[in-house]
Amino acid sequence: MMNNIILETSGLKKVYNVGKGNAQTVLKSINVQIKRGEFVTVMGASGCGKSTFLYNISGMDKMTAGSVVFDGQDISTLSERELSNLRLTKMGFIFQQGHLLKNLCIFDNIILSAYLEKSNSRKEINKRAIELMKKTGISELADKDITQASGGQLQRVGICRSLINQPKIIFGDEPTGALNSKATNEIMELLENINEIGTTILLVTHDVKVAAKSERILFMIDGNIVGEKHLGKYVKENQDIRKREEQLSSWLIDMGI
Amino acid sequence: MLFKILKKDFQRNKAIIIALFIFIMVSSLLVSSGSRVIIELFGSIDNLFEKANAPHFVQMHSGEIDESVIDTFVSRNNLVKDQQTVEMLVIDGADIFFGNSQTADKNSVMDNGFVKQNHSFDVLLNLKNQVIQVSKGEIAVPIYYMQQKNVKISDPIRISNGSFDKVFTVTDFVRDVQMNPSIISSKRFVVNEADFDTLHQNIGKVEYMIEFQLTDLNKISKFTNDYQSSNLPQRGPTVDYSLFKTLNALTDGIVAVVIILVSILLIIIALLCLRFTILTTMEEDYKEIGVMKAIGIMQKDIKKIYLIKYIVMSALACMSGYLLSLGVSKLFTANISLYIGTASKNMRHFLIPFLSTVLVFVIVIFFCIIVLRRFEKITAVEALRSGAMGTTKVNTRLLALRKNRLLDTNVFLGIKDVLGRLKMYLLLFTSFVICSFIIIVPINFLNTLQSPTFISYMGVGQSDIRIDLQQSNNATQAFTNMVEYIEKDRDIEKFSPHITCKYSVLNSDGGWENINVETGDFSIFPLEYLKGTVPKVGNEIALSQLKADGLGKVVGDTLLLVVNEEEQEMLVSGIYQDVTNGGKTAKAMLPYNSETTLWYTINVNTKQDVNISNKIAEYTKHFPSAKVTYLEDYLTQTLGTTIKQVQLVTIVAIVIAILISILITSLFLKMLIAKDTSQIAIMRSIGFTLRKIQVQYIVRTLLVLGIGIIVGTIFSNTIGQGLVSILMSFMGASKIQFVVNPIVSYLLCPFTLILIVTITTLMCTTSIKKIDITKMLTE
Repeated sequence: MMNNIILETSGLKKVYNVGKGNAQTVLKSINVQIKRGEFVTVMGASGCGKSTFLYNISGMDKMTAGSVVFDGQDISTLSERELSNLRLTKMGFIFQQGHLLKNLCIFDNIILSAYLEKSNSRKEINKRAIELMKKTGISELADKDITQASGGQLQRVGICRSLINQPKIIFGDEPTGALNSKATNEIMELLENINEIGTTILLVTHDVKVAAKSERILFMIDGNIVGEKHLGKYVKENQDIRKREEQLSSWLIDMGI
Repeated sequence: MLFKILKKDFQRNKAIIIALFIFIMVSSLLVSSGSRVIIELFGSIDNLFEKANAPHFVQMHSGEIDESVIDTFVSRNNLVKDQQTVEMLVIDGADIFFGNSQTADKNSVMDNGFVKQNHSFDVLLNLKNQVIQVSKGEIAVPIYYMQQKNVKISDPIRISNGSFDKVFTVTDFVRDVQMNPSIISSKRFVVNEADFDTLHQNIGKVEYMIEFQLTDLNKISKFTNDYQSSNLPQRGPTVDYSLFKTLNALTDGIVAVVIILVSILLIIIALLCLRFTILTTMEEDYKEIGVMKAIGIMQKDIKKIYLIKYIVMSALACMSGYLLSLGVSKLFTANISLYIGTASKNMRHFLIPFLSTVLVFVIVIFFCIIVLRRFEKITAVEALRSGAMGTTKVNTRLLALRKNRLLDTNVFLGIKDVLGRLKMYLLLFTSFVICSFIIIVPINFLNTLQSPTFISYMGVGQSDIRIDLQQSNNATQAFTNMVEYIEKDRDIEKFSPHITCKYSVLNSDGGWENINVETGDFSIFPLEYLKGTVPKVGNEIALSQLKADGLGKVVGDTLLLVVNEEEQEMLVSGIYQDVTNGGKTAKAMLPYNSETTLWYTINVNTKQDVNISNKIAEYTKHFPSAKVTYLEDYLTQTLGTTIKQVQLVTIVAIVIAILISILITSLFLKMLIAKDTSQIAIMRSIGFTLRKIQVQYIVRTLLVLGIGIIVGTIFSNTIGQGLVSILMSFMGASKIQFVVNPIVSYLLCPFTLILIVTITTLMCTTSIKKIDITKMLTE
């Protein structure tokens, strides 16, 4: 039976050793549940541990204590290879910068992880990549170098790459942080569409406008989640986004920003 | 301030600076050692020649001698300063028993001469360059046997031919100005006068060395003409001062040249490393350089900061190399010290190696200045805006992943990276080419030396058995008997007798000089000719290369030869390679004169099912005065020392090549991984395992290695073969054709390199694990 919870952390703790005896606790004890198909954002001031949280639950960083259960598997027990495989097959990542491989053209960047995963034929993968590029509006960039595309375009490439293996969850670390407002809106629209077809999304952001489009907002201070706000699914047709933004802003002020 | 910058820079690039330091140090170590070997060699030779009071001209003679004729010649020739006639008792190797061994060395190709100490000149010295004095029952043994037979002081040596038996005790070793080098096939033992007389009466046969010292060394050739046009004894080869010197210098001279060649290769690698390092640091510091330019610091001054650290580092490395060379010089000059002795040191011994070290330093710094010229291309605005240098721009369209249907993705990415950044891989590529070159050249040369076909460089056709007979009073009869015996032998497939006689030839100076001509039918055991063909008719002659060069003749030229006291015009039909007899021989079909005959040889091939060793034993028994050798033994004994030296060079070369490949591979990967950190982090984040990334790096290094090995092998068999030919041309073989053992050269060597590079790559790439993905991605 499929569990309704895709990701659950309990007592997640991360301590960095900065020099001799200088331990810095970045995540204190985090208990979070994320449902399948949910759109969640994590907010908080710089240095509160949002990104660390993201990297610990995706297995890129090694947690100090606690557990993270992803899709029924406790990732703290997985080996390096199993973690890599998990990221390859079930997780997608979008970063603030494109973080693409310099020596591959844009199309190759998108298909790379699918070629690596090998569960589909290369022909099918190419077809899927073409579809994704069409959907995200970057079809004409296929053979271009990554230096020939704008920041917004590179972010779309990143989204295409994260979707190529049809992941169960997409993690976004400030995916719109380096974009202007027009590009931000376009990227968010894409993410909304992805969420609509059932992919879970977990974003880390500063931006109220971005967070206002999510279902639930977690607020972090100094390595703890100190509050959460349910806004409910955003339905573009019958909801005014400004209202959601105002609602969120006043909550954030209450939280101490 | 400067010290601070240097210290910081050292900490940042510890590994690469240490590696660079090592390369420059070893280069300067080898250059100064090589030049020291050369200085030492010439110094020692001069010293030895002075101490031993070397003769200027020596005529060997076997047969009767009339001392009064020589005396008359001496009194009339004003070039002669001194003259002596040395009696040398030649005892067959089969009659000499070293140590306590019960078997003599029957296969020995050495002529063992027993002599008394000379008084006026050509003095035989011991290892301390003192005049050897032996009492009754004592013997001094040539250094050659000390090394080959491991003879020690107080060992017994027995001379015995069945009827006569005498035991000597070794009390000293002979450093012989004439016969030291192992490539000379005669060696002199020193015994007491009384013992000499005893031996003389019972064993061996006497040969004479008619030795001269001249008033003017520059007139040797005039004196040689005088001598040869006289009626003095001439049944035997002549040798002169310059030939002694060349032969003494040859072996160690070649070693010195090889050392210097290796150091040149190392300097090339060091320079490439330097280029790679400078470009990488420049790339890292691109922004800083931009800032410095933007705030108005002069380009010259920025360059100076970079240059100064390389000046300091190379200066230290060169100095250490030079100092180390002082320490290890004994290692390189051990052979010289043993065979030739050591001369007292003077300023030259220190100054010339030092100057060669300075030369290395200058080359390195000059190269740095050239590479640093790239600074001029950096503009402040560009540097600040892009923050990265455009030089390592990669070509993404070269190979598209989506068009790749066959290759594994990681293999593909590895290949693509190499092809996309060819220039960067130049360092690795060149190093691998050099590594495979310095392994394959000595291995191929060694294999060539050990191959039976090497005989063709010795002016001899390929045969199973070789029979040598020296001239003596009854040699002609013995020779005829031998030929008759072999003719009747049913086990023999074919044979060919040759007689070497001395003739006179008109040289390029218009004087007459001796030439040893082998006569017989040379088509039975054919020899490969460098140019032209075998002499087929009576007026044709083939010359060894060194002889042809000496006479200034090429194929088709004519020369004047005195045959039976008549001048005869001969046509040069061919030129061949020969490293025997000083490389100066000739072949023709001439009527021979038993008066001027020097030696006889017979080449024999047995039928297929005949046991060669039994045949050799049979002939040895039947022809007591002759030396019967299995041709392969003949080869290994004549070339034994050379083979040993090349073996040593090969081992050293392999070790050096392996060390270089490990060092350069790890150095390169360290820099490469540092460069690629962000790319690696991205791959890890999207799900590449460590193993998969390692595969990419292994593909990169192995691809470069593979091409490097192929190019290195091609170079070895072309340039390498040419280099070996140049070295060997001093010995008479100028066109060496490598005999390659494909299993060793094309399978074993590449496999070893591949294995080593793979292991190094695996070890170096485990550091990828330590890369903090999150830090790289959030920065």
